Amino acid sequence: MKYPYFRTRMRLLALAFATLSLSTAHLEALAQPATLKIATEGTYPPWSFKDAQGQLQGWDVDIANALCTKMKAKCEINAQDWDGIIPGLLAKKYDLIVASMAMTEQRRQRVDFSNKYKETVSRFIGKKGSPADVSPAALKGKTIGVQRGSIQAAYLSENYKQSDLKFYDTPQAAELDLVAGRVDYILGNMVTYYVGFMKRPEAKDYEFVGPELKGGLLGDGNGIALRKGDAELMAKVNAALAAIIADGTYDAITKKYFPFKLM
Amino acid sequence: MWNLQGFGSQLLIGTAATVQLAACALAVGTAFGLVGAALQFSGWKLLRAVGYAYAAIVRGVPDLLIVFMVYFGGTVTLGAIAGRYVDVNAFAAGTFALALSFGAFASEVFRGAIEAVPRGQVEAAKALGFSGPKALFAVIAPQALRIALPPYGNQAIILLKQTSLVSIIGCDELMRKAAEASGATREPFTMYLAAAAIYLLLTSVSTLLLELSEHRLARHART
Repeated sequence: MKYPYFRTRMRLLALAFATLSLSTAHLEALAQPATLKIATEGTYPPWSFKDAQGQLQGWDVDIANALCTKMKAKCEINAQDWDGIIPGLLAKKYDLIVASMAMTEQRRQRVDFSNKYKETVSRFIGKKGSPADVSPAALKGKTIGVQRGSIQAAYLSENYKQSDLKFYDTPQAAELDLVAGRVDYILGNMVTYYVGFMKRPEAKDYEFVGPELKGGLLGDGNGIALRKGDAELMAKVNAALAAIIADGTYDAITKKYFPFKLM
Repeated sequence: MWNLQGFGSQLLIGTAATVQLAACALAVGTAFGLVGAALQFSGWKLLRAVGYAYAAIVRGVPDLLIVFMVYFGGTVTLGAIAGRYVDVNAFAAGTFALALSFGAFASEVFRGAIEAVPRGQVEAAKALGFSGPKALFAVIAPQALRIALPPYGNQAIILLKQTSLVSIIGCDELMRKAAEASGATREPFTMYLAAAAIYLLLTSVSTLLLELSEHRLARHART
């Protein structure tokens, strides 16, 4: 070889190619998994979140673990960014999504949902000492704040035609106007209020008013998502869900996080 | 404001993952870039076409889409070929997707740099009886390297920031760790600001290293 370094450099080049092919060898072929792979969201306390040690925690995580115990299945729960959660299920990265996912028509076209595993409850908030009657007749002429486009907005527009409805871009904006005295009541997701607004110092003069509202225009609640047609697993999940509700495990988990029942 | 509420160590773990991703994608992507550039100089029309197509297609598609296609599409495709579920490692898929994108830009950088070396240099090497490879490695490459380094470094810094894209496929890098920390603490401003500061630190160090390399490569041009 006329050029002394040519051979060495060719060897280096070959090494580079070898590294390249090794990195694609990472695409490990694994046998059909014996463990159930469960996705949750991971940035949404108290439903699912990671603590300062990086440990996954929350109501959804506890429920998923309880379901696995009942199904006698080995489970692996991972936090997955919300945007990739349904694609991940469809690509078989996950078998179940336990992430407080609302069962909407749009999602039903891509995944199958288990039986409802959490109700989405709506509730009014008003000044402390407000009368407990929040029927359309009782709130006639009152001002009610609500998030525009929400299920609660649809519910109020349909049923509270005699009240003065004010629509806001965010729930927070409605809360601010309640505190400022521009609206008499706000209506929204009870649990979101419970972990958000009601924990704030400015909420001290306010309380939940009237009964828990649900069903109809107020939504179908949350479900566990499975790939379409995964009937065998669906039967197992629904049986396990019924079992943890029947034996009190479900309520015991809820009690860890909230002073009220979720279903 | 700088109270990270114990999530500092999580952010550092994320930083380590970000650096690993960037380093691996840089190495593999540079290889892709060299191959891409070599293809564009090939004597065979078909290989040239492959080289041009790689640069044109990959540069024209959003990186997020490449990440999705490699990870989810890759899983489905490999599964279909193998006839059963094939697990694609998120880190490997993330590295591969970032490298694919980086390689397309790098191949253009390399091609441009090689073309920028004056034609007379090759002719002089030939006149002196240099073989093809010898002319390439001893005459063209050292000169092209100096031209390629600044734009290559630019792309490398963009790559460092683009690692944040792969948080979407479950790589627990800095951006995902910051999202988790801001979710758990309800302090998004603090956590994302901390992440921004870390990214700035990483890019600053990279910029400094690049400037040192550029200075060293230009040593023979100084008197």
